[in-house]
Amino acid sequence: MIPRSRLLLGATFVALAAALACSDMVSPTRGTRYDWRLIVDYDSAGPRLDTLSFHWPRNRLPVRIWVEDSLELPSRVREGIALWKGALLYGEWDGVLVSDSATADVIVRLTQPPPQIPIRLAGRVLSCSGATDVDTVGTRFELAVPVRAYIFPTIPGAADLTQCLRTVAAHELGHTLGLFQHSSDSLDLMFSEPTARFLTERDVGTITNAYHFTADMFPVGP
Amino acid sequence: MRILPTTLALALVLPAALAGQARYGLTLGATGGTRLVTDRIFQDIEITQGLAPTVTLSASLPVSERERGGIEVALGFGKTRIKESGFPTVDGPDFKTLSITGGVQGPIISTLGWRFGAGLLKYLPEKEGIFRSGGPLLLILSGGADYRLPIRGPVGVVARLRYDYQRFNTDELQSSGFGRTQDVHRLGLGLGIEYQRP
Repeated sequence: MIPRSRLLLGATFVALAAALACSDMVSPTRGTRYDWRLIVDYDSAGPRLDTLSFHWPRNRLPVRIWVEDSLELPSRVREGIALWKGALLYGEWDGVLVSDSATADVIVRLTQPPPQIPIRLAGRVLSCSGATDVDTVGTRFELAVPVRAYIFPTIPGAADLTQCLRTVAAHELGHTLGLFQHSSDSLDLMFSEPTARFLTERDVGTITNAYHFTADMFPVGP
Repeated sequence: MRILPTTLALALVLPAALAGQARYGLTLGATGGTRLVTDRIFQDIEITQGLAPTVTLSASLPVSERERGGIEVALGFGKTRIKESGFPTVDGPDFKTLSITGGVQGPIISTLGWRFGAGLLKYLPEKEGIFRSGGPLLLILSGGADYRLPIRGPVGVVARLRYDYQRFNTDELQSSGFGRTQDVHRLGLGLGIEYQRP
């Protein structure tokens, strides 16, 4: 025979648990974003535009990034990796520096970019600039790997060069993640002439959307 | 004003007086639970938890002829899985939980006993993801059963079944704009040893 006090205790516990057990988490709207997708011309039946989305698939993570070891650029890129990685809740993207450029998914050079290629995303700040080339390999559904980014000082020895390189490295890294357009808001890191030191809510919303939007483009190579 | 000194004196004297019947335990086991997060970004996302290896330390003292009062401290090492429609299911961030519950336990029949308790649970800070900043102190309600098998003298083997309920949230989820909390029910099984001072 179970004593009444024990039954009462058990019943109280069950009642408490039942009373409390009625809540589900509510996810945020994440509507704050700019368009990140690549718009390309194609002419299979006359010139047309296509809007394409890219994000690194999980089986390609961590993305291997080779960085030219000059002006402490590897440190700036590491900071950029931490910034973008921290913006994503579920480990959607990760990057790691590698020593062999032959095995890299992304190559970051400290030099001016070569002559214009068809798709170049350029960012410019007062004392340094950057550019990222996107090569869709003829068929617009492929992204040629390694993706190449260029960062270079425009005013060598400028007092704010370190901060400029930090901002531009994070900005170009954003392009290599799949943000293939610039934001129209000057406060965003992905604005074409960025001054932001951190990601804004719009930057975070955009990268979050990009990594949960079905990708049309897939990395090819190396 | 005399309540506080009296309470303190009792708190010091009572355990000493009852220390002769104190029971200590150490169990190793696994804890599983219901989903931690539901989200929606174009499609539904669900973060579930896998079986978490759990270490539990316990101590109890008699509070009546049949019942004992005590505490349990548990450290769990969990893994998550991320299920998203249209995407492959992948491993999510790992996490650690630390909980402390105070409770009452007593016999059901023979060597089988019950336990009910309440306490606090914390998700410890991790390097990244939803557990990056850890979580707030969460209230947990727990209940379960113990099966004891004396081996030799004061030492015995114990098998523990534990259920607990919490309203899950983390600081990172809150700062990302998640509202309300997620009901999480967990069930754990442990096996270990107990020592009861004669």
